[in-house]
Amino acid sequence: MFPENIILVILTLIAVLFFLNSVYRLYKFLLLGKKEERFDNIPERIKSVILYVFGQLRVLKEVAGIGHFIIFWGFIVLSIGTAESFLNGFYYKISFEFLGPVYTLLLSLQDIFGVLVLAAIAVSLVRRFILKPERLKIDDPGAKMDALIVLGLITILIFAMFIDRGIMMNLHKDSSLAINATYIPVSNFAAGILAGVSSETLHKVFWWAHNLVILIFLIYIPHSKHLHLLGSIPNIFFRSFRPKVELSKLDLEDESRETFGITKIEEFTWKQLLDLYACTECGRCQVNCPAYLTKKPLSPWHLIHDLKEHLKKKAPLLLKKNSKEENQENEPKILTKKLVGEVITDDVIWSCTTCMGCQNACPVFIEHIHKIIDMRRTLVLDDSSMSQEVQRCFTNMENNSNPWGIGFSARADWAKDLEVKIMGEDSSVDYLLWVGCAGSFDDRNKKVATALVKILKAANISFAILGTEEKCCGETARRMGNEYLAQMLIQENVEILKGYNVKKIIALCPHCMNSFKKDYPQFGGNYEVIHHSVFIQELLKSGKIKLQIPLNSTMTYHDSCYLGRHNDIYNPPREILKSVEGIKLIEMDRWGEKSFCCGAGGGRMWMEEHLGTRINETRTEDALKTGAEKICTACPYCLTMFEDGLKAKQKELKVMDVAEVIEQSLESF
Amino acid sequence: MKIIVCIKQVPDTETRIKLIAGSNRIDTKDVKFIINPYDEFALEEGLRVKEKLGGDVTVITVGSSDVEQSVRECFARGVENGIRIWGDGFENIEPLGTAKVLAKVISNMPYDLIICGKHAIDDDSAQVGILLADFLKIPHVPVVIKAEIYEKEAKLQRQIEGGIEVVGVTLPALFTAQKGLNEPRYPSLKGKMAAKKKSIQFIDGNTLGVDIKPRMHIIDMNLPKARVAGTILKDVEPAEAAVKLVKFLREEANII
Ligand code: SF4
Ligand code: SF4
Repeated sequence: MFPENIILVILTLIAVLFFLNSVYRLYKFLLLGKKEERFDNIPERIKSVILYVFGQLRVLKEVAGIGHFIIFWGFIVLSIGTAESFLNGFYYKISFEFLGPVYTLLLSLQDIFGVLVLAAIAVSLVRRFILKPERLKIDDPGAKMDALIVLGLITILIFAMFIDRGIMMNLHKDSSLAINATYIPVSNFAAGILAGVSSETLHKVFWWAHNLVILIFLIYIPHSKHLHLLGSIPNIFFRSFRPKVELSKLDLEDESRETFGITKIEEFTWKQLLDLYACTECGRCQVNCPAYLTKKPLSPWHLIHDLKEHLKKKAPLLLKKNSKEENQENEPKILTKKLVGEVITDDVIWSCTTCMGCQNACPVFIEHIHKIIDMRRTLVLDDSSMSQEVQRCFTNMENNSNPWGIGFSARADWAKDLEVKIMGEDSSVDYLLWVGCAGSFDDRNKKVATALVKILKAANISFAILGTEEKCCGETARRMGNEYLAQMLIQENVEILKGYNVKKIIALCPHCMNSFKKDYPQFGGNYEVIHHSVFIQELLKSGKIKLQIPLNSTMTYHDSCYLGRHNDIYNPPREILKSVEGIKLIEMDRWGEKSFCCGAGGGRMWMEEHLGTRINETRTEDALKTGAEKICTACPYCLTMFEDGLKAKQKELKVMDVAEVIEQSLESF
Repeated sequence: MKIIVCIKQVPDTETRIKLIAGSNRIDTKDVKFIINPYDEFALEEGLRVKEKLGGDVTVITVGSSDVEQSVRECFARGVENGIRIWGDGFENIEPLGTAKVLAKVISNMPYDLIICGKHAIDDDSAQVGILLADFLKIPHVPVVIKAEIYEKEAKLQRQIEGGIEVVGVTLPALFTAQKGLNEPRYPSLKGKMAAKKKSIQFIDGNTLGVDIKPRMHIIDMNLPKARVAGTILKDVEPAEAAVKLVKFLREEANII
């Protein structure tokens, strides 16, 4: 008979070859993507891998993450045993025994992790197939099967390991396992049960079972959801260190371009494709997605999943096509299937509020929003395929530089009686107050602008507004995929700001602020931008304004996505509210980085919400549940969404911007 | 199919109109100009007919060089040719003159269908379409809300008081577009880029030999009174409030 070790070597070689071949193919698929520079900042990248791969920091953000932590570290510890088992199988003399006490520790750890992993898997199976929390919901039966197969294989693996260990302990009382029996209680327990049945043949059976499962695993991984074992580590390594959700700048002058958005999967960059491999299918993004939670067709997880499946189907055919001149006539359907519209539907793409709930939750740093905006770009720029409301919004911004479409000459009317300096008349000021479209045109938000002006005046700040020279900042247009319009607005604003030599900007709207921070530098506009809530906090700290009137009230503060998740400003608005005597803050269940979007971001403010339930009403319910007397925000969009939400819920509650609260506490008449 | 669409550039509906003091003219500084919204419906319909039946769309406008931006907007949406007519004395042109000029130019061109907006939102004359059809001696169907165009004929639905009238005409014909006819498209980026490079054919209006002398003169032009905030009668007894209201309506609002 053939010696066993040779059979094992051959089988291992075959499995490894299969594995390497799959990995190589996946690598080739990535190369189909476009270029993207992600090789800067190597030390930080290594640090990320340590923190987020080995430390599992993002996974551990929720309790259920402990299960994964155990499986992950169990996998590493057990792999050492597996490696030994294989090496020993190749050549019987190889063993890690020489490690001495460390070896004993390893054996012991393997025992402990073996049980822990089994427990974690049991919990995981119960969650996935019995409890079915929202997070793990997906329609694709393949994805469910996949989870079952992987969890099943790991279970078999560990059982085989324990049984084999037990048998070995019974058969070879002088083996290192038997000697260390006290340190490996689980294996010892197995030995006890198997005392009467242990035989060399049985040992062989389980030894082979264990090793074969490993080899099957090796072949299966690249084709399963456990592809994330391969994809997530490089994905975390190559994660973005740019400002959060900074969008790519399109070269609109490039006349050789046929299309401007992403129309085919291979037009994504290699990093965007790597994202797809990295997805662990954990669903964390999904349970943080306002679109998904209000029953819209978008789930960030499913989006990534669908793109991955499409890539895996299309890429091999593309590679084949690239390697030889295929006859064009009977192209496989998948090659001509439209990415936008067929693989991912328009409704999915338009449902996103760009709230960053998904990206903030994703343990492996997948960037969903760029993909969505890239696809919006093709709908808008290439196909002109969008709803009437979206089109109207664009036309309004084009003609009157604001999404409302109110005549641009009315932009500074709100400030008529406030004696506010206009840059055009006197630009020798310290700050430009960037009012934004909402503060300029929306009646409710004009009051916020007015309150802020009063605060700035009380603090004797030297500031001016641009008046009718101010134009929409372009943030919304850009996130709606209209890069052309956005660039036009941004460039015009950059020119105007340059004319007045503007350096410091106080922004009344988090969206404007975000745009100044992340969009404008791409067009030569570099400013120190500060949101009004942060500025007010500084005024309070430095004693430039003093609060005089106590306001006895309970309030709940809603974190705007673009202030919070996008720019990490969580505390200043809360701090300034707390500095008012008599205000008691009550937090909603979802607050801080878990805050739930108001529904207006990413241009959703300007679109009808036909699908599912209304996001703003869901959020209003969150606020109402706190029992607070007032709702506080620091974003004009959120303010509007709450006002509408309260109207729909027929509640008389008041929504205020933090600036209005401070102004009330300031005035002494 | 040869399709002609006549457009006019008008101040944006949201623009705050100012008059040049001492004249009967509006101050065009700070005015945002757009394609007359009804002409946009006409344009969209022209493009759709072309896309269905083949052929090309030519846009014609009477206007100064400022109007070229609107013609380019038409190019961006998919129009093949653009013609602009202007000349000395054209600043004071009246609808009659415009129609004559257009008729003169169009009569030298091949066409199957002419579409205009039902009226321009700036001066509300609603004359050019009907006059043009008359000068060209072709059928004219005004205020169309649905159009079915075939090679040789058209079935047009028009809005009439209290109902809809369906009219059949043989081509060539002219109809004017009403809101509801279609939803105008938003140009693609490729379209916008191509539009920058296209050339607009210019015709010197003074060479046409058309009499455009104004037949009317504007005596006066006024802006509507600024709207004042409403008055709310608060904290008064209903009977007293009614008295006050009547007094207000009679003496201040001059309604009763
Ligand atoms: S950005 Fe927000 S709305 Fe968009 S997919 Fe992510 S979680 Fe959902
Ligand atoms: S995208 Fe990220 S958060 Fe969403 S399922 Fe995949 S790994 Fe989990």
